[in-house]
Amino acid sequence: MMNVETLTIKKVQDLLKTKQALPEELTREYLKRAHELNPKLNAYLSIFDDAPGGLPCAIKDVIMVKNKKCTAGSKILENYVASYDATVVKKIKESGASIMGKANCDEFAMGTTGENSAFGPTLNPLDHTRVAGGSSSGSVAAVAGGMALFALGSETGGSARLPASWTGIVGLKPTYGRISRHGLLPMASSLDQVAPITKTVEDAAIVMNMIAGHDPYDSTSAFEPVPDYTKALTDNIKGLRVGVPKEFFTKDLDGRIADSVKKAISQLEKLGAIISEVSLPLTDYALATYYIIVPAEVSANLARLDGIRYGYSADGKNLLEVYEKSRSEGFGKEVQRRIMIGTYTLSAGYYDAYYKKAQQVRSLICRDFDRVFADHDVIVGPTAPCMAPKLGEFKDPLQFYLADVYTVQANLAGLCAISVPCGFGTIDGVKLPIGLQIIGNKFKEETILNAADTYERNH
Amino acid sequence: MLTITKEEVEHIAKLARIRLSEDEKEKMTSELGAILAYVSKLNEIDTTGVEPTAQVTGLENVFRKDTPEGRIEADLIKGHLKVKAVFGE
Repeated sequence: MMNVETLTIKKVQDLLKTKQALPEELTREYLKRAHELNPKLNAYLSIFDDAPGGLPCAIKDVIMVKNKKCTAGSKILENYVASYDATVVKKIKESGASIMGKANCDEFAMGTTGENSAFGPTLNPLDHTRVAGGSSSGSVAAVAGGMALFALGSETGGSARLPASWTGIVGLKPTYGRISRHGLLPMASSLDQVAPITKTVEDAAIVMNMIAGHDPYDSTSAFEPVPDYTKALTDNIKGLRVGVPKEFFTKDLDGRIADSVKKAISQLEKLGAIISEVSLPLTDYALATYYIIVPAEVSANLARLDGIRYGYSADGKNLLEVYEKSRSEGFGKEVQRRIMIGTYTLSAGYYDAYYKKAQQVRSLICRDFDRVFADHDVIVGPTAPCMAPKLGEFKDPLQFYLADVYTVQANLAGLCAISVPCGFGTIDGVKLPIGLQIIGNKFKEETILNAADTYERNH
Repeated sequence: MLTITKEEVEHIAKLARIRLSEDEKEKMTSELGAILAYVSKLNEIDTTGVEPTAQVTGLENVFRKDTPEGRIEADLIKGHLKVKAVFGE
């Protein structure tokens, strides 16, 4: 009997190579465990008992798997069945992955705690009174709980890094355009990326090798050559120029997280990195920028869900009533709020004041990163301002939004970033994980993976 | 501080094709008011002459031939896709 909790993709590949494990055996073990744990954790919305032998993997339910339901955590797509495989799904299948099931998430990936799923929240495997974090809630819980070897989540403003930090695992947000979005349900198209969720940094590199690259079906995917990401892991960061933004360490940051992250930064220094303080003066404004741009793109992207083309359709006396009833009954509160904000900021008379203004500030944020990356290799700080909250702890919408304060900038500027575990903080006698965030310039995944891997191996 | 009225919420809901109950309208008015007040802090930043950024890849005009590849199967009835009637009487 194998102990799935300590397995990694790397270890499994070695076990398979030396015939110490069979792919079918692996799938069977993980399915068994998924059935045992899922009734409590609610990580999977569906479990595929007919999964073939292979590397057990969970897919966030905003990514299409052919002939399987793709609900996006929403009532409006409760019975929607995908008619094709997303490019990333096709690629991981070709790389030997076996899809265990579809993972729970905040409705249309909008949320920071997983509590916006129409199918109930996902619990944190480390403390069942707390959330796993969102929006890739089921994906992180499946990996952290040993119900999948790895998962594909998605990122728009921190949806893989944030919940990975709250469950003690690794979440990678690749450079915009590095991975095909074909078959990923769109939320905010100028920001969305598919995101590997793994137990170790090395595993994240292995998943990147499976999924990175140009796709003719996503015209925003990049033509940049794809390296072997595992070769970038040299266990050496001597001379790495690390910038630490002073704006990431303010009174809003939990003291235990600040301590843990500062300790990690000292460790990087001991390993030979050159640490210096930098400034990202628009940090405070990035979240406001994000919460204008995202709802605007959301309101446009979700207009297609009208009760006619696909998904839930309510009865109505006329077409307008079908539209209104389908959308009001089908969408949850947070999705409705974002559609409303987006519709407002894009409406006549307000476009310049909100959307255009936000896009201009986005340019300034990009410039700030260009300035810092001119003489730094990576930017390092906390992933989240707090540790995993209790179910129901966050109340008003802005409280949810503020959890994204350190993650949204990488999405706005199209950069790559990773969260790697860097310790624990104790709340009510329970040890909760903390994440260290490492941000890199566009297409510098090799740099952040090596920095994160070297830290992970030597602390 | 900038705020939003209940009438504006009703108008936006109509544009967004979302039906709100009276209670929901009240709640939405205060929630959207708080969110809009928060995002309005961007007005503190001078953006005179700054070009807006819509996407960050720098890619422009990526084309491919518009040829059907039959990759996506749909349940067709006599070559047509069936949806709900969209024309009223």
